[in-house]
Amino acid sequence: MLFKRVSFYLSMTGIIGVVLLVHQLRQTPPRPVPVQEPARSPYTNSVAATGIIEAARENVKIGAPKGGLIQKIFVEAGSRVKIGEPLLELDSRETRAQLAAMQAQLEAMQASLHSEKVLAADAADQFERTENLARQNVASVDERTRKQFALQSMEARVAKIEADIKAATAQVELAQTNLEVLVVRAPRDGTILQLNVREGEYAGLTPTEPLMILGDTDRLQIRADVDEQNAPLVVAKQPAVAFLKGDTRNPIPLHFVRIEPYVVPKRSLTGDSSERVDTRVLQIIFELERPTTPLYVGQQMDVFIQRPDGAVLAQSR
Amino acid sequence: MYRLALKMLLGDRAKYIMLVGGLTFASLLMTQQCAVFFGLLSWTTSHMRNMRASIWVVDPKVEQINEIKPMRDTDVNRVRSVTGVEFAVPLYTGVIQARIADGSFKPVEMIGLDATTLVGRPPRILSGRLEDLRRPNTVMIDELAVQRLSLSKDHPLRIGDTFEINDREARVIGICRTDRHFFGYPYVYTSYDQALQFAPRTRKMLSIVLAEPAPGWTATQTARQIEKETQLKAYTEDEFEKSTIRWFFLNTGIPASFGTTILLGFIVGMAVSGQTFYSFVLENLKHLGALKAMGASNGLLARMLLLQAFTVGMIGYGLGVGLTVLFGLAVLKKGQPPFLMPYQLPLFTLVVILIICAFAALLGIRKIYKLEPAVVFRG
Repeated sequence: MLFKRVSFYLSMTGIIGVVLLVHQLRQTPPRPVPVQEPARSPYTNSVAATGIIEAARENVKIGAPKGGLIQKIFVEAGSRVKIGEPLLELDSRETRAQLAAMQAQLEAMQASLHSEKVLAADAADQFERTENLARQNVASVDERTRKQFALQSMEARVAKIEADIKAATAQVELAQTNLEVLVVRAPRDGTILQLNVREGEYAGLTPTEPLMILGDTDRLQIRADVDEQNAPLVVAKQPAVAFLKGDTRNPIPLHFVRIEPYVVPKRSLTGDSSERVDTRVLQIIFELERPTTPLYVGQQMDVFIQRPDGAVLAQSR
Repeated sequence: MYRLALKMLLGDRAKYIMLVGGLTFASLLMTQQCAVFFGLLSWTTSHMRNMRASIWVVDPKVEQINEIKPMRDTDVNRVRSVTGVEFAVPLYTGVIQARIADGSFKPVEMIGLDATTLVGRPPRILSGRLEDLRRPNTVMIDELAVQRLSLSKDHPLRIGDTFEINDREARVIGICRTDRHFFGYPYVYTSYDQALQFAPRTRKMLSIVLAEPAPGWTATQTARQIEKETQLKAYTEDEFEKSTIRWFFLNTGIPASFGTTILLGFIVGMAVSGQTFYSFVLENLKHLGALKAMGASNGLLARMLLLQAFTVGMIGYGLGVGLTVLFGLAVLKKGQPPFLMPYQLPLFTLVVILIICAFAALLGIRKIYKLEPAVVFRG
């Protein structure tokens, strides 16, 4: 008779409903796996670091010898340059004008030297003849002496102009050097990694970013930053691997080069110059073998350095 | 005889409805209030279901997931250097103002995931590809964000639409489903590097380091090892959940206020159902007395009473939890108020209802044992 009751069936429905609801609510989605394999250390014990790729022998930040407008740029980003090749030229109009004025002055002096020399030759000739006449007592002593003084005066004038010409030549050379200084040349062989200025821009003496960056991309190295708190764990000459950000399947083997002896404030990797820094990092330089995938200077990498079993931090607790 | 007991119970429709109604009310009150309370507690740890990881490494003083003290970003590498850590990735979380085209602004919970691995990503993605977060100024939003950040109901936010976060344009590349935030903020997922751009600049930006144990290590072992080597606090998923709930119990009035409501629910439920059943026994005392006079033993009568008690108990319980399920379904669809029913809850209510019924039956049985059969004839 219980089975004739509506309440019985309603109650059964309720119980079945609660079982179903509990079952439904218990179904939590499984933990999603990483979209891409995360960078994993191949060693049991390792020290992790963040590295940045740079050209071997460090990158050269090219500067200008003095402030000025940039008149001409001889290279573009990616150009390979040899030592001494011109990279850029600052505005040289003023220096060129100075040089031209100097040169004109020099030429004028050379012309007047010529006329003075002619006059001097004339004076020498007159003096010689007067002297002959004076020996034969035809000309007076007074006349001879006057001619002699005239000759000496002309010789002195020639000597002065010759000295002036030397000074003017030096001036011309100075102007030429000034012109030469305005051309910035490659201090060594390498590739232009970055070009931050265009023709017509002003090259300041203290620019916020270098005019251009020159580096040797044939051989790359990695500068790995280790938190100073982990510095005691780093042992020289340990094997290490690096992973490119975004490519965690191909570890790139590294060869230890050196540990920088000076611990530096952590360079901001967000690129914001106003970031305040409160951590210092130990930098370790590694050389890397170029993998088949392209590598670019300035790329960030995750670096794992093997840690010998003995290296553990002293516990404060 | 047992058929007779059921007949006695069901015969009087009004009394039967009263009895079942009381028990229904009691079980509804207990189950529903507890479910809402558990739901609210689960909201406090919703972060942990929206960003999944085995190990959560935070500042040593952090006790719960909703209050994070940022760390230095080199701490990721310190965690990576710990033996027993398979991998570790940074995560940013923080509440940021989002502004929509009509100028109104809404706070959102921004989550910055490691761009390469996207560890900590939302488990359920409804549309779009999370990998698109690697493109500049992109975000993935949850359904609540669609509701909150849309200009109007007719034009919901879709993939490709934009809004503003902290004066930066954010382009929607996908929509996901998340568990509701404790403060009711929508979730906005982006990559860690972009989150740093969106977020107002502070000295330290790294909120949490998510880590996984290496093969052969349990999450607990790795967490302890991380704590030993880095002096940071490492929680496993389970520990962090417990710690968060503990924090809410110790620091907020939520458990106390809900606790009293639930307690009152229990007392009222118990009183109502106990009382109705006891009065039912009292009213049927005549018939029971007659049965006793006819030679029914005390044991048989006791079993009859228990059968009656458990029958109404089960029916009342079924109706009560059924109503709770209806409430739950309606509420879950809306997402508010909170609702969560772990399997322990209906079991617990069942046990409580059965105890109440057994207790009421015992009172009746005591009466029957004392009953003089002659009482029936005294009229």
